[in-house]
Amino acid sequence: MAFVAACGRFGLFLAAFVNASWRRPPPPGQVLNEAYRIGVRSLPVLVIIAVFVGTNLALQGYKAFAPLGGQRLVGMFVATAGIREMAPVIAAAMIAAKAGTEMASQIAVMRIREQIDALEVMAVDPLWYLILPRLLGIMLVLPALTIVAIFVTLASSYLVTIWQLNLSGAVFVEFAREAISGIDFIYCMIKGLAFGIIIALVSCFFGFNAGNGPEGVGRATNGAVVTVSVVVVFLNYLLSEVFYG
Amino acid sequence: MARPPVAPGAAVIDFVGVHKSFGDTVVLRDIHLSIPAGQTTAIIGPSGAGKSVLIKHAIGLLQPDAGQVRVFGVDVVTASQKQLYAVRRRFGMLFQDGALFDSLTVGENVAFPLEHHRRDLSEGQRLAMVDEKLEWVGLPGFAQRSIASLSGGQRKRVGLARAIVMEPEVILFDEPNSGLDPLTSDAIDELILHMKQRLGITFVVISHDIVGTVKVADNIGMLYEGRLIEYAPTPRFLRSTDPVVRRFLRRNLDSSWLASLGAGQAPLEEA
Repeated sequence: MAFVAACGRFGLFLAAFVNASWRRPPPPGQVLNEAYRIGVRSLPVLVIIAVFVGTNLALQGYKAFAPLGGQRLVGMFVATAGIREMAPVIAAAMIAAKAGTEMASQIAVMRIREQIDALEVMAVDPLWYLILPRLLGIMLVLPALTIVAIFVTLASSYLVTIWQLNLSGAVFVEFAREAISGIDFIYCMIKGLAFGIIIALVSCFFGFNAGNGPEGVGRATNGAVVTVSVVVVFLNYLLSEVFYG
Repeated sequence: MARPPVAPGAAVIDFVGVHKSFGDTVVLRDIHLSIPAGQTTAIIGPSGAGKSVLIKHAIGLLQPDAGQVRVFGVDVVTASQKQLYAVRRRFGMLFQDGALFDSLTVGENVAFPLEHHRRDLSEGQRLAMVDEKLEWVGLPGFAQRSIASLSGGQRKRVGLARAIVMEPEVILFDEPNSGLDPLTSDAIDELILHMKQRLGITFVVISHDIVGTVKVADNIGMLYEGRLIEYAPTPRFLRSTDPVVRRFLRRNLDSSWLASLGAGQAPLEEA
């Protein structure tokens, strides 16, 4: 019952946001600011995580296919699992952890310090002013970060394959290229875009509905990251089904 | 948009039978109150009496469960967002903690309403208005300072500069003395008096600080357990025979000082 009520509140929030924003350009300069902040701040941690996801995919792929004599399939495994599934989810998870929590906590703090009320009193719609730049900023950045995650994952897998597993780099590349094509990159960017929309809207929703005091900020931040994680993984399944099912 | 003038003394804000609850807690009960134009009206009462809830109804931040709130003749309960925003542009508000945006400088905070509603002004004109308002509140040269570097009293002053920068017709003060030491409280009271003389507009002050309230208010109302138990011009309010008002005054005012304000007809000891 609580879940249905929360979905209803989110629906109303979404309708109010669309009503406040669809005819108006975002506040000047803020979209690029948000894109820069989200992109630059999240890039280092995204690269680190993608490197080690790539290394582990290569190791697990090797272990899985070695008994079957198919070590050459490592490239195919990494390309399929890494590009189609892992990279978009890793990029989304990192952005949710960095930028999503920041959005939720910033807006929650603004709520409890009456800054959102102050916007209302100054006749500036807070839904438009606070959400639209964050949404557009993340939509610009997340598809690009997904592509970065793809190349970092592939590169680290490649290096583990040739240095640690002593397999042929050329074979890795050949099988990887067989497994994926240009359309996979498009699909990944679409996933990145969809995940970005989810991260921004859900995080801002939790921030706007924060309860009183520091506890309210903590709950909003926690609720945002947990909900985003679950929705992103579920949405990834749905999109994979649509694209590859 | 042309603004219909409000005659001095006519009501700018009218609460008609306003009732508000949060869950099982009744916060406002059948409030009838008219705030006159061009005067300073203070609403006092103990913490949790519903003062902030009342003031938030005046600008549509909260909706009553029953009753009407008319502001400049517009029922803000049923108004469209466009009408509501048009009403709000005639208001300024000083929030308890200033509600300043931490990511902006002092000058950017004060300029914020101008950036959004006065696009006709050049950058130079906006900066000049910001500097002027900061000077009015006693903070000349503070435009480049960060919000984090300000004291509690300075935050209130910056909040006041932002509230007056659009030259509103009504300014709402939500607990202007809360969290301040007595000396800074006095300075804020003086500033409110100074602004009152300088601007000659409608002030609504929400406070539990009776000393500061008596200094600045033309009319005082007292909220107690969600009811408006007294509302009168300040001298008459100080002579109120309501036992709760007497108790509140006795607790907060030195009796000889109160007597010097003309409240001697109803001795404090009688309550």
